[in-house]
Amino acid sequence: MVDEMDLLTGMKDAEPVRPRAFEDARAVLAAAIAVEGVPETKTAPRRRARWGMGRVAGLSAAALGAAAAVVALVVTSTPAPGRGAAPGASASQAQAASSPLVTLAALITASSGPLPGNASLIIRTQTEGGIPPQVSYNLYTDAGAFYVGGDKYSLKQAVARGENMADGITAREVKAALYAAAGNLATARVQMTDASPNALGLGLPLAAREQIWAKAMAADAKLFKEKGIKVPPLPTGKALRAAVDNLVWNNSVDALSAGGGNPRVRAGVLRLLSTITGVIVTRSTTGGQATLTITAGPEVFGGQGEQVLTINARTGMPIKSVQPAFGKVPSSADTYQVRRVTLNDVEAGRF
Amino acid sequence: MTSDPDDAELIARSLDGDEDAFVEVVRRHEAAVGAYLARRAGRELAEDLLGEVWVAALASRATYDRSFPDAGPWLFGVAHNTLRRHWRSRPAEEPVADVTGMASGWDPWAAVDSRVHAESVLRHALALLKPQEREILTLVAWEDLTVADAGRVLGMPPGTARRCLHQARMALRNAPGVVALLTDQNMMKEAN
Repeated sequence: MVDEMDLLTGMKDAEPVRPRAFEDARAVLAAAIAVEGVPETKTAPRRRARWGMGRVAGLSAAALGAAAAVVALVVTSTPAPGRGAAPGASASQAQAASSPLVTLAALITASSGPLPGNASLIIRTQTEGGIPPQVSYNLYTDAGAFYVGGDKYSLKQAVARGENMADGITAREVKAALYAAAGNLATARVQMTDASPNALGLGLPLAAREQIWAKAMAADAKLFKEKGIKVPPLPTGKALRAAVDNLVWNNSVDALSAGGGNPRVRAGVLRLLSTITGVIVTRSTTGGQATLTITAGPEVFGGQGEQVLTINARTGMPIKSVQPAFGKVPSSADTYQVRRVTLNDVEAGRF
Repeated sequence: MTSDPDDAELIARSLDGDEDAFVEVVRRHEAAVGAYLARRAGRELAEDLLGEVWVAALASRATYDRSFPDAGPWLFGVAHNTLRRHWRSRPAEEPVADVTGMASGWDPWAAVDSRVHAESVLRHALALLKPQEREILTLVAWEDLTVADAGRVLGMPPGTARRCLHQARMALRNAPGVVALLTDQNMMKEAN
């Protein structure tokens, strides 16, 4: 005799959660556990960060981010694959509650209507040292494609020829930012950290993490020796948090750079930046418009360097990113013009 | 010879500062809790929420009743609350979550398929139940919990849980479409 429970039992199948998701979830848990063990700072946190900052020069991708926060060997702006681990979640959420970045993120989310167009056009002007400014036209479509040109015409040509340069670049960062717009910040920090490969092994048992770390450090042993740098140990506690902050900053900036035309990406990035210990947010005026200046300092970058990001105070749109000179690293600055467009209009030269 | 510590013992160790102990609890139950979420919210959302479940469980582990050696029902309860919070926080323009949409891979256009038809009828009937009735039914039918453990998930005493399950079964059995479905299924069974 078939009864209602038999019928119900027959429909219990569902697509199973994938193994990677279990790992990610455990990484979130590990981050929360790590934060539990870190005493909360009661004093006003000095916050610094820098846009696209702090990829450690010369190290392999696997060792980069982690080492970035441990060693003071920093290069400048250009986003490169960085890494990190991910503690800082729940404590960060508590800090984030009063952050102007979180307030702005909420405003952006609340005021954003349907997104016009299907791509973000970002005109970037880069200056570094005494080199003349370099302008690039960067088109990031919502579907994940990326086209670039030195001017309008070459961008149009790139689109017409289908020269999609994305190759998955920044896709994970943008996805993490989209999640962060409304998702749990602890989860978001892990996702943004792991948007680029790293040697921290978040979420794995300590023995496995140590193994991954040792392997990554061994790969760079020669470089460490040449530079006279002591091989850093697997970061834990505050050092781990610093490593994660570094990666969250770098990858968030990459997400903003690629998806800044989407208000949800901007909101997510701002929420993520609010979780980074050592970032200072101040009111400012830039070209007559109200702006927020977000300064990330040496603690975000392994003890050296600084990055200053300026965004529109009402929309969160990135306006410029500046890295003052330090050591042998010259100053650099990027300015941004961001707008929404359609791929068809760009291909037709209507932008 | 020592036996593995039960979940209650691991949670106690975790509260004493053993960072690996709670991770071990999670490892033991992650497949079941993941499946619980996936059945109710679909795989994508389940994957997004799983980390939140663990963090919420970590934060509330001090309140765990250590007289229960198995933390499974407690973790289902945390997952249940996480889902509720998620659905409450969804933007108004999104469709309100209900169980009619939670079948992953379910093709609504394949109505000629009797299994799909049965699922459609059942999901509609489930959607008409009171939330607690629906939850206790599915906890027993899908998660293989005892009625008492299902009650633990929902914070109900065992007697209340039994009454709730009974009411839920009656309501489902008499729901539109389910009567005919049961009749058909039993006729087919007898014919075979």
